[in-house]
Amino acid sequence: MRVNRSEAPAFRIPDQINLMPPEHRTLAGGIPLYYMPSPSIEAVKIELIFPVHYSKAVLEKPLLPFFMLHMVLEGTTELPSEALDDFFDFHGSEVEVISGYERQGLSLLTTRKHLEKVLPVFRSLFTSATFPEKSLARKKSQKKLSIGIQREQTSARANQLIRAALAGKSHPFGYQATENDVDAISREDLLEYYSFGFLSRPQLFVTGNLPEDSISTIAKSFEDLPLIVPKNDYFPVSRTARHREVEKKDGALQSSIRMGKWMVPMAHPDFPALSVFNTFLGGYFGSRLIKNIREEKGYTYGINSFLSNLYGSNYWMVAAEVKGGHGAEVIEEVYREIELLTRKPIPEEEIEIVRNYLSGALLANFSSPFDLMGHFQQVHFQGLDLSHFSRQLDFIKNFEEKDLKATAGKYFEAGEMQEIIAGMV
Amino acid sequence: MINYKEFVLDNGLQVLVHEDPSSEMAVVNLLYKVGSRNETGGKTGLAHYFEHLMFAGSEHIPGFDSALERAGGSSNAFTNTDITNYYISLPAVNLETALWLESDRMLHLSLKEKHIQTQKQVVIEEFKQRYLNQPYGDAMHHVRSLAFEKHAYRWPTIGEKIEDIEQFGKNDLIDFYRNHYSPDNAVLCIAGKVDFETVRGQVAHWFGEIPKGGHSRNMPTPEPLQNEKRSKTIVGKVPTDALYKVYRIPGRLQQGYLACDLITDALSFGRSALLEQKLVKGSPVFASCQAYVLGNIDPGLLVITGKLEQGISAEDGEKALDAVLDEFKQETFPEKVLQKIKNQTEAMKTYESVSLLGRAMRLAYCGYLGNPSLINEEYAIKMAISGDRIQEAANNYLRDENASVVYYKRQE
Repeated sequence: MRVNRSEAPAFRIPDQINLMPPEHRTLAGGIPLYYMPSPSIEAVKIELIFPVHYSKAVLEKPLLPFFMLHMVLEGTTELPSEALDDFFDFHGSEVEVISGYERQGLSLLTTRKHLEKVLPVFRSLFTSATFPEKSLARKKSQKKLSIGIQREQTSARANQLIRAALAGKSHPFGYQATENDVDAISREDLLEYYSFGFLSRPQLFVTGNLPEDSISTIAKSFEDLPLIVPKNDYFPVSRTARHREVEKKDGALQSSIRMGKWMVPMAHPDFPALSVFNTFLGGYFGSRLIKNIREEKGYTYGINSFLSNLYGSNYWMVAAEVKGGHGAEVIEEVYREIELLTRKPIPEEEIEIVRNYLSGALLANFSSPFDLMGHFQQVHFQGLDLSHFSRQLDFIKNFEEKDLKATAGKYFEAGEMQEIIAGMV
Repeated sequence: MINYKEFVLDNGLQVLVHEDPSSEMAVVNLLYKVGSRNETGGKTGLAHYFEHLMFAGSEHIPGFDSALERAGGSSNAFTNTDITNYYISLPAVNLETALWLESDRMLHLSLKEKHIQTQKQVVIEEFKQRYLNQPYGDAMHHVRSLAFEKHAYRWPTIGEKIEDIEQFGKNDLIDFYRNHYSPDNAVLCIAGKVDFETVRGQVAHWFGEIPKGGHSRNMPTPEPLQNEKRSKTIVGKVPTDALYKVYRIPGRLQQGYLACDLITDALSFGRSALLEQKLVKGSPVFASCQAYVLGNIDPGLLVITGKLEQGISAEDGEKALDAVLDEFKQETFPEKVLQKIKNQTEAMKTYESVSLLGRAMRLAYCGYLGNPSLINEEYAIKMAISGDRIQEAANNYLRDENASVVYYKRQE
């Protein structure tokens, strides 16, 4: 039989997703626990996540949360540092630090086989850490080295500059830590923050194939966590008018460009259209920006744009490392592509591709229970639930071009746009 | 246990199918048995550059990515010294779209002049972004050119230098495609919510008519034995000195390789590993220090690398490292460490199996190694290696006459 290659095979696009929400319960101490069953998978993940409070101490010493979290594995009252390392490694388990601008905590990756043994030791990290001076000295010197390396990387530098441009240089999101900030941290600061600044409003997330008594054991072990009630210390970001910052670096071979702007929260009615508009612009491999800057001009290995949740809102950003000296030109091209998408008709074919691509990508997001838990957290922290994704799919399948254009016209004006060029200029 | 079934088409295409009804997705992983080891000096970086061109459209499908995205899929690829690996994820009901796309670019790639030129620029920017515009970014260029004299492993997959990539012409690309991109030089792995019998029919339909290659494949020159320690000093704009010490070890399927893999587990797997405890946490010499094997099919390298603490030289770092390694070689391998490594390896197997794409890639790779059942069996083979054998391998391979060292020094 001759193979007809000229015609694409028939395909179908999934038109609904059924996502099972995690089971929810509340521990005796008031901590919410979310459990996602993962049939036939032996891996178990436990995450305990706290909001970051910008207390006076944290504002004065911005690296306090970072060092506190990275020091808890350096020894507890029961186990000194090496014994602790040996213990987790011997049981094939990994403890990871979660250290973000808004949320922080620890996660444990283990297996059903080792869970029972490992759990009490994981629990002890939240209340029994000893913060030995010697380990702190080592951690500080490592942190200084990584600050030094980032200073040499134009991409890291551009990220710092765009964050400062978006939130203000003194805001924790925009603040650039230096070697002096490392020096400022003492063991006493860490103990103080660990006891009185850390354990507030935690949420517990468990993924695994676990019987009820294992879940109760997990619940029991965290119910006596001594919680604190921090003062409300919301620290608003400052918004500024359109601005471009250029930072030259001698010897750099490329120009790192960033553009950024505050948008609206995920729960806002305009968000779905904003998100789909961003996909057309720079959110997938077939985007306008990839086609123009990479596939047409060959200026870059990659350029993308994305939306990211932060502080109850959401910022939009473009990032690329481009051929040296072409930074300003690429920024102009981004404005031009926004303009074209907003003002000129979008070809039917392109709309179909984005609809189908996004539907498939949404399905792929939930291919394992661990992915599902990650996406649950993403919406949960924005005050939403998994039905957000069903609504998103509904929007993807039914949006009209004019919805996108109207929304883009509202949010993508150049006012308030922040622009960075770092490296070769 | 990862289940799979296999068949081979008349044209030599090896096909592996892993059924996983718990997923709504399918993965199509197509591995070509070509990498930078099949390149020649002065024409380096070709395998990776060619990977970029595989996305530039084929005879019946002008836009590879858009045709896939229209069916709800996405795709990517990577090239290393030994293989070029393409993978697609899409809703399982649309499996045939992926087979149509992969078979068309295996049968007849377009190679238009415009794409040849732009992708050349894109690859050059990738070269700068990842290897030149980064502190220590070119370290492995120096390491490879020191550790190998004849074999194509002496340059990294991105290429030895940008000039090599600049000079490629259309004929180089056509030759490379003809010689390496044929069904008898590939392993196709299909995984996810798929049915073996259906897949067998679909694969035969789309790939069956593609002719065998039978062309000349460029094979690497074997590397002569090394008899003495080699070293090289680089001075660069970096925040602290770094040390790269590499030892020549057997190829992926040769006797001794798995023991070397276990050596690096003992040295570097987890926070309790020897290098971390002795050189990073225990003494202010290294800010970080890791060991790993490159896992090449031909005899390759065991790499130990670390960034020094401020004010400590790479040479002093090497002395401290050597002292730790000497002790490691002399002492009996502790039973407890052996048990720890085995527990870690077992757990890692569990974590890795969570991802469908990960399973598909590893299965295809085991097919490339010539034995797909390694995906389930290699673990047991590795676990059966005794402490004595690991220690013996350490004494065999971790010798200075077998080592090359790059001192990456901070410009004062």
